[in-house]
Amino acid sequence: MSSRIEILNEGGFRSDGRRQYELREMTFDSTAQAGADGSARVAHGLTEVLVSVFGPREARVRAQTLHDRASIHVEATIAPFSSTSDRRRRGRGDKRTLELAATIKATFEPVVQTSLYPRSQIDIFVHVLQQDGGVLQASINATTVALVNAGVPLADYVCAVTGGVHAAAPMLDLTSLEENDLPHVTVASMPRSGHLTLVSMETRLHVDRFEEILRLAGEAGPVIHKEMRAVVRQRTKDLLDGMGKGLRESNPAEAMIEDE
Amino acid sequence: MRPPSPSIPEKDFFFSALDQALRLDGRDFLEARPHSLSFGAELGHVECSLGKTRVLAQVDAKMVRPEPQRPFEGLISIHCELSPMASTEYEPGRQSDEEIALARMLDKIFRRSDTIDREALCILAGERVWHLRIAIHALADAGGLLDCASLACAAALRHFRRPDVEVVGANEVIVHPPALRAPVPLALHHTPYCITFACYRAAPEPSAAAAKGAGAGTVAGQTETAPRVLLDPAGLEHRLAQGMLHLALTPQRELAVVHKAGGLPLAPGVLMGAVQVAARRARELEAWLDVRVREDWVRKKVEVR
Amino acid sequence: MIIPFSSPPTLSSASRFGEDVSEGEDFYMNDGEDFEAERATITSPGESITSARAFMRGHGTYVDSDEVVASVAGIIERVNKLVTVRALRTRYNPEVGDLVIGRITEVRIVALACAIENNERRKVQPRRWKVDANARQDAVLMLSSVNLPGGVQRRKLESDELQMRSFFEEGDLLVAEVQAFFADGAMSLHTRSLKYGKLRNGQLVSVPPILIRRLKSHFCSLPSGVDLILGLNGYIWISKHVQDNEKEGEEGFDAEAVYSNQNDDIDDATRTAIARVSNIIRVLASRSVPITDAIVLEAYEWAVERDSDAKDLLLGDVADALIAAVTTKDELTEQW
Repeated sequence: MSSRIEILNEGGFRSDGRRQYELREMTFDSTAQAGADGSARVAHGLTEVLVSVFGPREARVRAQTLHDRASIHVEATIAPFSSTSDRRRRGRGDKRTLELAATIKATFEPVVQTSLYPRSQIDIFVHVLQQDGGVLQASINATTVALVNAGVPLADYVCAVTGGVHAAAPMLDLTSLEENDLPHVTVASMPRSGHLTLVSMETRLHVDRFEEILRLAGEAGPVIHKEMRAVVRQRTKDLLDGMGKGLRESNPAEAMIEDE
Repeated sequence: MRPPSPSIPEKDFFFSALDQALRLDGRDFLEARPHSLSFGAELGHVECSLGKTRVLAQVDAKMVRPEPQRPFEGLISIHCELSPMASTEYEPGRQSDEEIALARMLDKIFRRSDTIDREALCILAGERVWHLRIAIHALADAGGLLDCASLACAAALRHFRRPDVEVVGANEVIVHPPALRAPVPLALHHTPYCITFACYRAAPEPSAAAAKGAGAGTVAGQTETAPRVLLDPAGLEHRLAQGMLHLALTPQRELAVVHKAGGLPLAPGVLMGAVQVAARRARELEAWLDVRVREDWVRKKVEVR
Repeated sequence: MIIPFSSPPTLSSASRFGEDVSEGEDFYMNDGEDFEAERATITSPGESITSARAFMRGHGTYVDSDEVVASVAGIIERVNKLVTVRALRTRYNPEVGDLVIGRITEVRIVALACAIENNERRKVQPRRWKVDANARQDAVLMLSSVNLPGGVQRRKLESDELQMRSFFEEGDLLVAEVQAFFADGAMSLHTRSLKYGKLRNGQLVSVPPILIRRLKSHFCSLPSGVDLILGLNGYIWISKHVQDNEKEGEEGFDAEAVYSNQNDDIDDATRTAIARVSNIIRVLASRSVPITDAIVLEAYEWAVERDSDAKDLLLGDVADALIAAVTTKDELTEQW
C-alpha cells in the first residue's frame, strides 16, 4: 500500500512533528472512576482508554469459578464516537472488540497472581474513548495501572508499545494515519525480565525488519515503565500523606504499632 | 460441558519426559509431524493432514456485484467449521471460542496479509467480480489445527482455478466452461504458512535437558535457563502448553502474522530463534507444496484432440 | 545508537515529583540495615526489595531469582525477618475477631423434600446466608451462628431453617464478627452477641478498608444522638442512638425487635446529624484520612461550630477547611 501522505519527511519528522523514535505524550489519571476498586485513564497522544477493575470479588457466574485461582474476566467496549472514520456502534458480539478483550485477558492471566484468590473473580472493563492508533497498547498500559491501583498482586508491570517500519526506517508509537499505511507490531514487555508477554502483528514485514522493531520496542518498554511507575508512586505517596495526617491526630503509641 | 483438563498422571508424565528433553511421540523439539495432501477431483478441493489432524479445504468462486466502496476488488470470505466430529472438545451448534479464534487467525493470515490479488478478481468494474469462498472443515483435531488448516487453505488456493471469462462489449460477460478453455489459477502475491510453537517453563534442573537437547533440537539462543520451545505441538502438548506462539511466514522470509497473546513471557532472543526456525520450515513447505500441486495439475491435464 | 525518547513536560513528568518518590533509586534493603528509622518506603510491582536469603517473603511479595520482589504498590513493612508490602487500596483482608458490616446476598435453604428424604445430607450442607463484606469472596453466615428467638443457647430446629428469610433476607444489612476461615479463604461470620445483628435506623457509608484501624471499640456514640459502627471492612453504619436500657437484655431477647425491618421514628435533628456525620466520613475518606471515633467527633464539633448545612461539607473549600482543622492540631508527633 502506498500513500499520498508523507510518513517521514526528509528532515526526519513525522506527520505530527515527532522524530522516528519519539513517543507521544502520555497521561495517566488514577482517579477516573471512584466506584471501582481501581481505575485508570491513559492517553497516548489522542488515543484514550479508560479501564476499571473490580475485584477480586465473589464470582458472578458460579459455573466459571476456578477452585485454585481467580478467574479474570475482561470486557471491552469501543465507543462509537471514538474514531472519525468508523462511527458505527459495535455491539457485544463484534469480532474486533471480542479480540481486544481476549488479548488483554491472555496478556494479564500469567502476570496477575491469581492463585492467591481461589474462587474469586477479577473483572476488567476496558472502554476505548478515543482512537488514534495504538488502541491495544493504550488498553494494556491502562489495564496495568488500573490493576496496580486496585491492589491486585502482579508479577510486574506490563508495558506495551507499537512499532512500525516505513521504508526500512523503524518508528515507534504510531498514529492511526501511520498505522493505516505501515506494517506495525504491538509488543508488551515486562521490564524486570525484559521478556515479552504479547507480540501481535497483522501486516506483512520482513524478518530482519521485525527483529529491529522488536529490539526497539524492548528499549521503549522501560521508558513507558518509568512513567507508569512514577504515577503509581505519586499516587501511593498522596494516599500515604493523607493517612499520615490522620496518624498525627491519633494516639502516637498506636501509630507506632501501625508503623511496624 | 467442557471435558476436564488432562489428568494429573498424564501431566506429570508429560513434564518429566520434557525435563529429559523427550516428547511424547519421540520427536525432537523442533521436529514437525509428517504432513500430507490429497486433492479431490474438483479444483480447489484439498484434504490436508498433519500427524493425526486432518482438515478439508474447499475453494469455490461465484460472480457477484462488488461492494460499492470498492468497485475494483473481488470478495474473499473464509468460513470455518469445527464440529464435534473433530474432537470431543467441540460442542455442536453454538460457535465456540476456538472456532472464532481459528477463523480470525485464518482471516489475518490469508485476507489481511493480501495473499490474494483482489483486483485480479475483478471482471467488470463496479458490475461483476469474483467472490472467493474458502470453506475449512476440521475432520480430526489432534493438536496443531491452525497449522493444518492454514496449510490446507494455502494448498487449496494454489490448486484452485477459476473459469476463464471474457467481456464482450460494454457489459456482457461470457464464462467459458473448463472443458472448452483451461481455467485460470488465482493471482497470489505470496503464500503464507502458519507455524505454531508451544512454550514451557525452563526445566527445574537444567543440566539434564540441556545436555541432551543442546545438539539438534533447540532453538538458537535457547540457553540452559531459557524456556523450552516445541515446534508443532500435538494433542497433550497443545493442551498443557504454558504459552503459544503462532507465526505465519512467507517463504521469502516475510512475517505475515505474529500472534503471541499472553502465556509464558519469552525473551526477545528466544522469539527470534523461533522465527528463524519457522522461516526455514516455511521454505520447506513451499517447495513441497509446489511439487505436489504441479504433480496433480499434470495428472488432471486432458489432451485436446 | 542513541534513542531520543521524548520526555514530554506533562503533568505526569517524573521530574516534578519529590526526590525519594519517583526518580530515586530502587530501595534495596540490606541485612542489618536499620530500616525502621527511615520514612515509610514506597514500592510498586516488580521492584526488588531485598535478598531472599536473608529475609522471608510476606504478603504482597514474591521471590524471583533469590530476591524478594514486590507484587503490589504500597509501603514496605518489616517484622524481624519477614518482609511484607501493604497495598494502600485493596479489598478487605479479614482476620478472626474483626468486626465487619455486611449485606446479605443470598439465602440458601434446600427444599424441604430433600431435607426430609435425606437426613444425612442436611448435616453436610448446613443452612446459611451469603454476605457481601467487601472481601474477595462473599462471607458465610451459618444458621448456627446467629441468635434465634427464644433464648441464646438452644438447638436449631427445622422450623428455624424454614423461616431463615424472616431473620435475614437478601439486602439486609448486619453487623457481625469474623469467626473462622474455610479452606478456600472465605470467612465465616457470627452474630452471637447482643451487640451484633440486623442494622436499621441509619445509613451506610463505604470507605477504603485501610482507613479503618483496629480500635478498642468499634461501636461509638456521638453526643448528638448518633451511633457509629466502624466495620473493619470499610463499611460504616451511622444510625440513630439507641438507649442502653432500650437494648434487649439477655433474658428478654426480643426476636421481634432484633430482626425487625421497621425503622423507628427519627426526628429531624437526628436525621441532620446522621447526614452530617456521613458527609464528614466521606470527606475524610476522599482525602485518605484514617477514620477513628476521635477524628469524627472532632470534625463533627468543627462542623457544628461553623453551623453549616450538612451538604455544604462536600464542597471543595469547606472540605479542605475541615481537613485542615482536624489534621493540623499536633505537628510535633509526626510519624511519617
